[in-house]
Amino acid sequence: MRKPYVQRQRADWWLRNPAYRRYMLREATALPLFLYSLLLMSGLYQFTRGEAAFLAWLELLRSPWLLALHGMALAAALYHAVTWIALVPKILVIDSDRLRVSPATVKRAHQLGAVTCNAGLLLLALLLLRAAGGN
Amino acid sequence: MTDKVTVRVQRYRPEEDAAPWEQSFEVPYSEDLSILDALNQIKDQQDPTLSHRWSCRMAICGSCGVMVNNEPKLSCKTFLRDYREQGAVTVRALDNFPIERDLVSDISGFIDHLETVQPWLIREQETAVSEGAYPQTPEQMQRYAAFGQCINCGLCYAACPQFGRDPAFLGPGALALAQRYNLDSRDQGAAQRMQWLNAEEGVWSCTFVGSCSEVCPKDVDPAAAINRGKVASDINYAVNLFNILRGKDDA
Repeated sequence: MRKPYVQRQRADWWLRNPAYRRYMLREATALPLFLYSLLLMSGLYQFTRGEAAFLAWLELLRSPWLLALHGMALAAALYHAVTWIALVPKILVIDSDRLRVSPATVKRAHQLGAVTCNAGLLLLALLLLRAAGGN
Repeated sequence: MTDKVTVRVQRYRPEEDAAPWEQSFEVPYSEDLSILDALNQIKDQQDPTLSHRWSCRMAICGSCGVMVNNEPKLSCKTFLRDYREQGAVTVRALDNFPIERDLVSDISGFIDHLETVQPWLIREQETAVSEGAYPQTPEQMQRYAAFGQCINCGLCYAACPQFGRDPAFLGPGALALAQRYNLDSRDQGAAQRMQWLNAEEGVWSCTFVGSCSEVCPKDVDPAAAINRGKVASDINYAVNLFNILRGKDDA
């Protein structure tokens, strides 16, 4: 008589090997970004409450905890972008009779695109800051 | 005196055991000893009640998949010499599948999923055999060749946490095979298979852990196949939406 033993997935399955841990780290990058978006939204809310409230929020941003959160959010966004772009050639395969692009080129084009967009945004922010007479 | 190596083997005897347990064996070590050789040595010389699956001994039949130190491996192409520094080697039945006995897994869930995606050439109009084969250039074959190397060993299913969480997920092997036929220039069944790609159990249950591709002994890269299936599913969704907006029937 058959009596198969059904294996249940353990809650700690992802601790079992380094590849799973790297995957969970990639998924976990959403957490600092979630906190960062909450922070931005709170800033927007303070902005609607008037100048004093907004300046107080800006002052709050100088706290070491929030600076650390910014650092973590940046690191998380970078880790996610780098690991995600590394996977793009697996998904975006351009290989038809009319057009053929090598996986390495697809990856480099995405890296270049990401760097260009980020540099462009940074430049735009700096220009706006200068136009507003800030320092 | 011969060098010995300790192999811990998972046992499960359905007649008398409520749960799997571990048994240690000492096996004479040699440089060219595979895990499969060790299991055969145990069965032939030490304990004939041990059950394990194997056939070809050359990584083509896909029968001998087991967990070696928590990683899915074909026991015939995994060698004890590579585990010398880790001390003892632990061999278990594949993760995520019911255990039939000792190291024998019941992979019928995976086989059912394979059938679901209709892994054969689908033609709108079958032509008579007398008219000859459907021609294909080597270049066209190259587009799906890697996805066609699957030997149905089930290692990717043992590595997939999404399949472990929900056995209804069609999983890496079946979805890679669907992609293999969708990319085949002779096939016209992509629209029929789309319902399975789009389904809850289809490509969208994959979260790109990527472990399936790492453990695949034939370099099939199921993770790439599934995620290319997501692109196809997206395009299908957009086309359907466009048709509905134009007042045409949902395809």
